[in-house]
Formats: sequence, C-alpha cells, structure tokens
Amino acid sequence: MFSEQAAPTAQGLLAPPSAEPPTFPRVPVSGYSDCSQPFQLGERSFSRQYAHIYAVRLAGMRPGLEQRARSQWGNDIALRKLSELQAGEKCCVVGTLFKAMQLQPSILQEISEEHNLVPQPPLPKYIQPSDELILEDELQRIKLEGAIDVQKLVTGTILAVYGSEQDDGRFLVEDHCFTGLLPPLPWTGPSSDRFVLLASGLGLGSVSGEALLGTQLLVDMVTGQLGAEGEQSCAAHITRVILAGNLLSQNTQSRDTINKAKYLTKKTQAASVEAVKMLDEILLQLCTSVPVDVMPGEFDPTNYTLPQQPLHRCMLPLASAFATLRLVTNPYQANLDGVRFLGTSGQNISDIFKYSSMDDYLEILEWTLLAGHISPTAPDTLGCYPFYKSDPFILTECPHVYFCGNAPHFQSKLLQGKEGQRVLLVTVPDFSATQTACLVNLRDLTCQPITFSGFGADSED
Amino acid sequence: VTYKWLSYTLGVHVNQAKQMLYDYVERKRRENSGAQLHVTYLLAGNLLQNGHVCHKVAVVREDKLEAMKSKLATIASVHVYSIQKALLKDSSPLYNTDYDIVKTNLQHCSKFSAIRCAAAVPRTPPDAARAPAPARSPPRHRDPDAAVNGHGPPAAKGPPQQHRGIMGMFAAKAAAKPQDTHKEAKAEAKEAPGVSAASSKPPTKNNIMNNFFGKAAMNKLKVSSVPEQPKEEKEVVKPSVAGAEPESSPNTAAEKPGKKTEPARTQQKDKKSKTKRADRSDDEEERDPENVKKKRKRIKQLQSDSSDEEDVPPSPTPEEERAPSPPPVPALKTELEPASTEGSAAGRKRKRKRVLKSKMFIDEEEGCMGKTG
Repeated sequence: MFSEQAAPTAQGLLAPPSAEPPTFPRVPVSGYSDCSQPFQLGERSFSRQYAHIYAVRLAGMRPGLEQRARSQWGNDIALRKLSELQAGEKCCVVGTLFKAMQLQPSILQEISEEHNLVPQPPLPKYIQPSDELILEDELQRIKLEGAIDVQKLVTGTILAVYGSEQDDGRFLVEDHCFTGLLPPLPWTGPSSDRFVLLASGLGLGSVSGEALLGTQLLVDMVTGQLGAEGEQSCAAHITRVILAGNLLSQNTQSRDTINKAKYLTKKTQAASVEAVKMLDEILLQLCTSVPVDVMPGEFDPTNYTLPQQPLHRCMLPLASAFATLRLVTNPYQANLDGVRFLGTSGQNISDIFKYSSMDDYLEILEWTLLAGHISPTAPDTLGCYPFYKSDPFILTECPHVYFCGNAPHFQSKLLQGKEGQRVLLVTVPDFSATQTACLVNLRDLTCQPITFSGFGADSED
Repeated sequence: VTYKWLSYTLGVHVNQAKQMLYDYVERKRRENSGAQLHVTYLLAGNLLQNGHVCHKVAVVREDKLEAMKSKLATIASVHVYSIQKALLKDSSPLYNTDYDIVKTNLQHCSKFSAIRCAAAVPRTPPDAARAPAPARSPPRHRDPDAAVNGHGPPAAKGPPQQHRGIMGMFAAKAAAKPQDTHKEAKAEAKEAPGVSAASSKPPTKNNIMNNFFGKAAMNKLKVSSVPEQPKEEKEVVKPSVAGAEPESSPNTAAEKPGKKTEPARTQQKDKKSKTKRADRSDDEEERDPENVKKKRKRIKQLQSDSSDEEDVPPSPTPEEERAPSPPPVPALKTELEPASTEGSAAGRKRKRKRVLKSKMFIDEEEGCMGKTG
C-alpha cells in the first residue's frame, strides 16, 4: 500500500538538483479522543486487599456470561451458584478460574529459603501436566475436570462451564464458554488512506548500538527525510505514531544501587538517565513532525503495576514542549479518526504466555479478546493495582485495532466476528531485536510491517 | 557525508541534498578523477517475507545495490544516502554523523524535511512549566569552507566554537582558552545534553570571557553568578545547566552586564542552593588560592598609597563595571563596592580593610624606623 503509490517516482532523486522540491503537509488529525481514563489512577491507596478485584470482576462479567451461556446452550439451562449445586444435575456455573500450578513462583517458597532450599529460577513456562483447574465463585470453589483444556487456561479468567457435579465433589465439564466478542462499535473510519505507525521496544540505553541506525531510519522515514518523493508523500499520511512500551532497554535496569554500598555508587548515574536523554532527542525529532503517543513498558521509569501511569513530562523536557507529544497509560485506549485502538505494552500477553500452553502471541491476544479481559492474570502473577470499585481491564467495547507490544515477531490478523465485528489484531515486534515496526492503514484495517536495516561487516540478507 | 548532514549544513531541503549528492557522484565519475568514491544508497520497497508483504527500508552499499533491488518486488524509492572516500565496514559512522548533526540542530530538525506538520507547535508554557525559548537563533551553519572540505562534524565543531568564543578582543588570550572552553563545552554537553547546543554556546561564550577576566583576577569566585548571567541572558531557567556550570568553571568571575530581574527572582532559590553547593565543593580548592590572593592583595595595597585603598587594584576593575548581584562567597569581596546587597559582605570587607590598615600602619612605622623587608 505504501509502495505502490510511491513506485512511479522511485528513481526521481537520482538526478541533478531540480527546482524547489515539494514539501508535503502532514495529514491533519481529524478526530482524536483519548479513552483511557479508566486506566489513569488518581490518588492511590494500597491498603486494600486484592480479593476485591476478583469480586468486582466476577460481578462485572457475570451478566454478560450468563447471556452468552443462554445463547449457547439454550434458554432453559439452569444457572446455579456453587452453593446451590446438586449432584448429577446439569447446570451452568459462572465463576473465576484458578489454576493450581506446582511451579508457580510463590512467596512462601521464597521464605522457605531459610530452610536452605534453592529458590526457584525464572522459567520460560511454568506449566506442568499436574496442574489443576479450580472454579471459584463468591463463596465456594470446586475442582474442574472434563472437556476443558487445563494447560491453556490461566488464573483469573471468568468463564461459564456447563456440566454436572460428580459424586466425588468434582465438576465434570461438558462445555465452557467465554464472553466472546462484544457487539461492534459503529465504524466511522476515514475514507482515504491514513496510517498509524506502531512501534515498540526501542530499547534505548542498551549496550549494543546496532538498533540505533534502525531507529534513526525510522524517525527519518516518519519525518519525511528519507525516501524519494513518492515515499515522502506517503509518509505524510501517517497521522500518528504510537510507541508501545519498552522505550528503554533492559540494561538500564541496573540494580547496582540496591546491591552495592552507597559509597561505591555515589557518583554514578543510573543508566536510565542517559537513555532517557536519548529518548528525549528522538521524541523531539518525531514530535516536530507527527503526533506521538508514548506508552510506558516493562523497563520504563514508571510504576510497575498495571495500569502503568504515563511517563512524567519532566523527563522529556525538549519533547514535552510540543503539543504533539502525548504521554499515555499502559494499557491505552483511544479513538483515532473514528477507529478505536486498544493496546498494551505486552506485559499481559507475556505473562499469559508463561502460564499457559499457548505459544503464539497472536493466539494469546485473540484469546484475551474472546475472554473479554485484557489481563486475567493481573493480580495473581502480574502486578496490579488493588481495584475495588470496578475492574478497568474488563473489555466493555470491542476495539477496532487491538495490539500488544514487545512481541517476538510481527503478526497480524483480521478477526471477523459473528455480529459483524472486525478487529485487527497486531503483535508489534520488539524493535531493538527485529528492527520492524507496523504500519496500520485505518481505512481498510490492514497492517504492514516495515523493516529497517543498515549494513554490517558481513552484510547478508 | 550523508544527505542529512549536507542538508543541515547547507540549509537545503533534504531532497535537494540527495540530488546534490547524486549529481556530485555522477560528475566525479564522469571526470574519472581517480579518487575512489564509495556511495551508499537507500533502498526501499516491498518484499515478500513469511507470507506477507513487508516493506523494507535499507541502507546498502553500492555493490550490493543491484542484488537488493532484485530481491524487492516493487521498489518504492532509491536515493543516495551518503558518499565517503573510504569503504565503510558497517553503517555506524553514518549513524554517528547523523546523530551529531541532528544533535546540534535539535530545535529545527524538521526544517528541511519534506513534511510539515501544522500541529507541531510548541506549547505555550504555563507558569510552572519551563519551555525552551521559542525564538532561538537559527542553527549557525558551519563555515562553508569547513563544510565543503568534508571534515567530519567533530572537526568542524572545533573551529566554530573557537570562532564564536573569540569575540575579537580576546584573540590572544582565547587561544589558550579554547581548550578549556572546548572541554567545558564538552563537559556541559555531557552534563546537560538536554539543553540544545544553541543554548550551550552562549554560556560557552560567557565562560570564555569570564575566563579571560578570571585569569587576571584569578580567584574571584562568583560561581553562582556565572550560571545566573548566561541564564538571565537567555531568559530561560535551566537548573541543570546551572548545576553543570559551577562545576565546570570554578575560576570564572561574573562579568555580565544587564541583570534581568525577573529571572533573577525566580532563580533566587536555585541560586541559594547552588551557592551552598558551590561553596561546599569549592571551598577546599579555594582556600590556598584565597590565601595567595590575600597576600597578593595586601602587597598590592601596601605598595599603593594608603590613600589608595579606595582605589581598587587593576585586576578587579572590570568587575566593578558590572554590577554584581549574587550572594558572596567569603573570599571575594574586597573589590565589591557597598553596592553589594549583603551586609555581611560589607562587614567582612570592612574588617579586612581594618586589618590591612593596621598592618600598613605598622609597616609604615617600620619603614620610618628602618627597612625591615
């Protein structure tokens, strides 16, 4: 899409200097509204227990699930709470899933270091064949078995199971269902080609500098300096750039200040300071030319728990001067030109990856959409703020573009729903590793990856 | 020489810069002048990869250009990326060149690009916020000579800084200074890279001037006033720069005329904290020089008539011309007229004068009685 328009004038710049070269005005932002208010925390108090989230989550998703269950298994099925179960009766129960995993890192095991037990090393996946699923509702819990994929599901999912209670106290599942796709939002997308660039994992501050040329090429392309005239005019159609997390690299998370004595670390700066300065310069270059939304990620200087609050403006003095810079939360939801975007920096997906047998980030992304919740593992294995009034991670509207950052590779899929929903699922790859960013065309919800490369000593392709 | 570097240096549109490079290459090649030029191109196009169409943007060497072209299904753009005399092993010099030139022109990085964004206007700063002054002088273009010679930007940076620092008058002295200021500028750049280079140059200028006077009146510590004056000049509050400058220019005297009261007011707090820091950090260093200075002063004053006490010794004269503003550091202030704001300074000054007077008295007496040396 990008290239076809540009092709005719491809060789145009292989010529002696011509007259005044054209400048293209950037396509103006017609409709932008930030819908991520639920993710912005006001004053925070951590004095609450996390149990409230589950209660709120269940209460919030129960009506939708009951409706789905009825539509799936018939209007006359019995919806029971766990306390009302009778042995042998086929019914449907709505509850929260809990997966008892042996390998799950537990704080109790860490405390048991006193007994000289080796602490558990971090594993890529914590699943084991001996894991069990337990369904909980407000008052009771019951073990599940049957036609349910134990390995695939994760703790914190709200689902409806259809089956009957056995004599030994377990629930035999015949079928289960999730909330599924929500009713579609009205489509008011643009009629002409508009692009949004999604990139994540810039990884500034890392020791290796190979990604830096790629980053510079990316910035150049978006600001219109790179490429022949055709390409520059296409780049002028990029209405927005969304940086989905991990702007700093993992190397900046040096723990020296914690481990070393104070007198050794007195004059040393945190590695993130340099990286943030570099980030500021890059953002300044971008902001002078295109609106940018910056989402924090796992290694960025903001809070650890989800929802991550926006980076503070004082860290980016040069770029913050421009109105085109927007510092937003993670997860992030916004309406761009009538297209609803929803996405995270990838922590939720990678957490599910660790505790589920699903290997494909795109599959996990799709699954969270169908499960109706952005990050079901949130308080259990992923840090989360103790919400008690409402769970903002429950999906209330079906987005048009659903993305996650920092995936190992680029993948995208257009999901078609039964009620006419069209959702573009995009896994945005880690730029520092893959040098790839994604370009989403808002008009027809397609996505194209863009790769940047320089040449090395052994330039092969 | 990359197209971006050329565009910033000559002040032309990026597309024109690319065309210029191409033209240059063609001409040189046609002339067969023997000098081997290595060219890198930027190639962009569509590539079928993993089942979907991927847009690829790559910087390739000339010898690999055709190979890459054949790999791409459709070519979106080709243009000259850079020219260099030596064969590049990898693309990091290109990146470094671009990085340097962009860093020195951060405020105007979209000036020569092909896309103009109407929405990218600097925010009007609220009272609490601090925004860089919108009206900065445009990036000083390097001297055309330096640019066309094709020296890398680091070399080009050296002479322009010297040029700027030398403000005509101080040519001789400044010859010794550029090293210091260069180092200072580098240190400043490192310590406050957030500040664009344009803003770091006025302080460099001031520091050079200050250094000139500072050498003559060596140990006049007006550490805090150094950041004040450049800051006041710029009307921008940059505490980071202020933090950097006291450390980098401990021996300068503040000579800037034209105080601006408003920034001075807002900087009161910063000033006080910084003088404290400066005092603490510089106290040890300056003890000895202070003593030396004291000795010097006394000798000077003794040599001059007692009536010449009011007559300020020549070295601090330039200081007097400028109105001093900031809170005093203990050693300095004999030269400060009572125009100085703090009473304690005046008190100290008076004390010193008293001491000197008595000594002189004694000496005079001794002189009367006979030479004691």
